[in-house]
Amino acid sequence: MEHRLREMAEAARRALREATNLDELEQARARYLGRSGILRDIQQGIRDLAKELRPQFGRLINETRAELEALLEARRKELEAGQSRLRAAESAIDVTLPGRAQHIAGRHPLLATLDDMLEIFLGLGYTIAEGPEVENNYYGFEALNYPPDHPAMDEQMTFYIADDVLLRSQTSTVQIRVMETQEPPVRVVVPGRCFRRDTLDATHSHTFYQLEGLCVDEGITMADLKGTLLAFARGMFGEEARVRFRPDFFPFTEPSAEFAVSCFACSGEGCRVCKGTGWIELGGSGMVDPNVLAGVGYDTERYTGFAFGVGVERFAMNRYGIPDMRLLYSGDMRMLRQF
Amino acid sequence: MRVPYSWLMEYLDTEVAAGELAEILTMGGLEVEEIIDWTSADGQATDQILITSVTSNRGDLLSMVGVARHAAALLGCALKLPDCSIPQTEQPVMGERDVEQGDTRITIDDLEGCPRYSALRITGVEVRPSPPWMAHRLEAAGLRPISNVVDATNYAMWELGQPLHAFDHRLIVQGHIIVRRAADGEKLVTIDGTMRELTSADLVIADPKGAVALAGVMGGRDTEMRDRTTDVLIESAHFAPTMIRRTAQRLGMSSEASYRFERHVDPNLTLPALARSAQLIAEIAGGSAAAPAIDVRAGEFTREPITLRPARTNHVLGTELSTDEQIELLQRLGFAVKPEKAEAPGGMETEWLRAYPDREQALERLTISVPTRRPDLEREIDLIEEIAIVHGYSNLPTTLPENTSGAGVRTRRQKLDQRVSEVMRGAGLCENVSFSMMGRRDLDFLCYPEDACEREALVLRDPAAENQELMRTTLLAGLLDAAQRNVRQRVEDVALFEIGRLFFGDGSALPDERHSLAALVMGSARTSTWNLPDEYEKMDFYWLKGVLEQLMRRLHIAGVSFERGEHPSLHPGRTAQVLIDGEPVGVVGEISPQVQEAYDLPEPACVLEIDLDAVLARARLLATYAPLPRLPAAIRDLALVLDDDDRHSATRVVEATRAAGGELLEHVEVFDVYADRERVGEGRKSVALRLSFRHPERTLTDEEVDEAMGRITQNLGSKLRAEVRTW
Ligand SMILES: [Zn+2]
Repeated sequence: MEHRLREMAEAARRALREATNLDELEQARARYLGRSGILRDIQQGIRDLAKELRPQFGRLINETRAELEALLEARRKELEAGQSRLRAAESAIDVTLPGRAQHIAGRHPLLATLDDMLEIFLGLGYTIAEGPEVENNYYGFEALNYPPDHPAMDEQMTFYIADDVLLRSQTSTVQIRVMETQEPPVRVVVPGRCFRRDTLDATHSHTFYQLEGLCVDEGITMADLKGTLLAFARGMFGEEARVRFRPDFFPFTEPSAEFAVSCFACSGEGCRVCKGTGWIELGGSGMVDPNVLAGVGYDTERYTGFAFGVGVERFAMNRYGIPDMRLLYSGDMRMLRQF
Repeated sequence: MRVPYSWLMEYLDTEVAAGELAEILTMGGLEVEEIIDWTSADGQATDQILITSVTSNRGDLLSMVGVARHAAALLGCALKLPDCSIPQTEQPVMGERDVEQGDTRITIDDLEGCPRYSALRITGVEVRPSPPWMAHRLEAAGLRPISNVVDATNYAMWELGQPLHAFDHRLIVQGHIIVRRAADGEKLVTIDGTMRELTSADLVIADPKGAVALAGVMGGRDTEMRDRTTDVLIESAHFAPTMIRRTAQRLGMSSEASYRFERHVDPNLTLPALARSAQLIAEIAGGSAAAPAIDVRAGEFTREPITLRPARTNHVLGTELSTDEQIELLQRLGFAVKPEKAEAPGGMETEWLRAYPDREQALERLTISVPTRRPDLEREIDLIEEIAIVHGYSNLPTTLPENTSGAGVRTRRQKLDQRVSEVMRGAGLCENVSFSMMGRRDLDFLCYPEDACEREALVLRDPAAENQELMRTTLLAGLLDAAQRNVRQRVEDVALFEIGRLFFGDGSALPDERHSLAALVMGSARTSTWNLPDEYEKMDFYWLKGVLEQLMRRLHIAGVSFERGEHPSLHPGRTAQVLIDGEPVGVVGEISPQVQEAYDLPEPACVLEIDLDAVLARARLLATYAPLPRLPAAIRDLALVLDDDDRHSATRVVEATRAAGGELLEHVEVFDVYADRERVGEGRKSVALRLSFRHPERTLTDEEVDEAMGRITQNLGSKLRAEVRTW
């Protein structure tokens, strides 16, 4: 009996191992492990054994069955895997054809630039304020300390709808609106559209974006203005960036400064981007004129502040290498899909 | 202004190369735009020319001496000025309105327009070309040499900044100069040969017969210097800047004189400039003063001294400049400074002063006499700026303010604005930025009727370009323009959206500025479309509506519905009004054939425009979590055949289903719609619904679901005359 079992086990192992497909494996299973298979037949013979030998033989049969079933399962997995590989090969696709996803669009380069600027100032504790694009003379000029006859108020510079209704030529108008509704400390940035009568060409547009900043508190100094704009330049251009301030004139700041950043393209050596100067002019800035602070009812002895304004278009053009300002307003899908 | 380098260096007691000087001036507030290597036309002289750009507040820098004075302050060197003093024996004859002296009489009629008029008569001049040194200097300065006498006055103007004019004294009737307003319609031929028609807003120099010069702008042809002139009257006057600007602007004229007067000329410069020009004329044209100069003026031109608190300087600039350092910086500018000590900080008991470290300096006061050439300096803060400039902006410290105002965060609305852009871009639409102006033409293209509110647009008084005369009242014009431009570039897959402001009003007051969202789609949204059937490929009405639904979902707005709508620009059968809680907030639809033709588009684009203010007012930033169902839903399909019209729209079917479905009906979805005459009959359509039933606590029995289905079919049958079909 034992000898027969061993022979059967050996034959069964071979049959299972050699089965080349699932059908053959099933046949081998039926033959050796099936309900009327050989192992079953051997098991039936147990009754012919002496009573004391039966438990030991029974164990042997169980072990053999377990071993063969494990072998069967392993072989079945092998054959199944092989078969699905075969099936997969039959249903292969050309993986080099282009994907058919829906487009996902990026932020408009102008607005992406503005976002990055805003991010820096949010980090410095500024909030974002907005204001009307169509303004009156008071907010547009008068409250900003423009003398009544200033050339900026000319029809040649500013778009008018009526004598006292105009398109704002700078976001500084919102400075006044913010300070009228808020006591210091004030720390706001104002992004927005401005309008100036300018001929439309590669570097000029009658519609443009500005970012205005205003910080008013006790003890704000011109040194703080320099530090803030240095932090801004570094946030936009990296830790290597340097800033340069030089005297300028704006009615609503005193002292006033034009500020520039070291050219990101040549690090100040002089190149085409910076027209050989090593510097890129970013905008105007200065200490808020006491007349402006007094106009909104602030105590000019107690509070000082600084303000600055940056044009966004030229910034964006430099960053992305866009050669013509008109492209920014073109709605050209070929340009917009690049971002 | 053209500043010849070698000429400038004559006034400066130092040595500095042109490039270095340009850099110092630029960093000191006088921008040198470029340095030109110059050679005179006759090849006899060379120089470097600094081209300066002067800010509108610094008329004092429009002269060689002005530049030299500023350079000397920045360089800290001494100044060598030309001698412009008047010999004691020739003291001018002064008067307040009318002065007669020898054969000359000066009368100022309009003291406001002309607060000072000085003149000097020089006889015995011999008019001929200037010597080469003079001609070269003028040529370097960009002035055309004319003849010695005129050249001498131009030279003195360039040197000192005081415009001068030379009349032929004999051509002035009775030798009587009258400064007055022009009569309306009065005519004058200026030296450029142009006939000018004047108004009473213009100031003229006249003789008893009529106008002889346009004050501060240009002389008249009839009284100008001739080759045979021997008797000259030199005018050196002070005119009100605004008056000169208005006249120059109205007549479209600009001269070296008007440019300077508009920016303010030192009123105390009239006599020195006369003396200097007389000196030069004597040198190169012979002749001598026939009589003392005449000086007619409204009064003394003096300035109130300004008090500066040195502590305040440091407080504003963030510096630690000692009082002595500040005095030195101010003196370099040529200002007289008188230090004083106050008893108490008086009027300065403020926080900044209490915290101020230097109690001694807080008591210091400086009294500064500001010369009349600097009308821009009126207040303490103006002098603080002067100190900063001469000290150098680059020498100011660099610090960050202490943050006393807290964290910088976006407002709810700003976060929602960002989200709208993110959703639209995520759906594949590109962000468009277009101008805020549009034309009446666009409103015509968009077929807005005469009484449409979109036609109540602000009108620009002087538009920048054709078809940009209105402020936009719809974003559709800009999007359709962009679509047209793309199509012209053979780009026919267009997916654009814009978030921008619209302006409504009649221009009598500030307009209502509304934030709007609009989108335009045409062609395919996919990166590639090989083997795709049209309905997957094309962005059609349902595609764009789907985007809008996604947007509403991402803004967590409930109660959004769509009804058939009307819009002048849109296809009447393919337009939906967008409602939130029954309130209209916008429109989505396909453009009408007329609009398609007006913009010359190859296919009917789909557009939407919604009132972003109204939508975002109802939006929520944060969603509230709804618990997930624990038990599976029972799903039943239902096929209906019913009339194919608006009263039997998908929304009505779903509503009628929900109304009868009871609490257990969780979800109704339309999954198939067709109108096939053969299969469902004329004017009818088939609608297939998938219904999900669920109880939150237990599994539903078939009987419960059947009962609900029974109620639903009955309701659909009675309300909508729908037949239920099985398949
Ligand atoms: Zn560079």
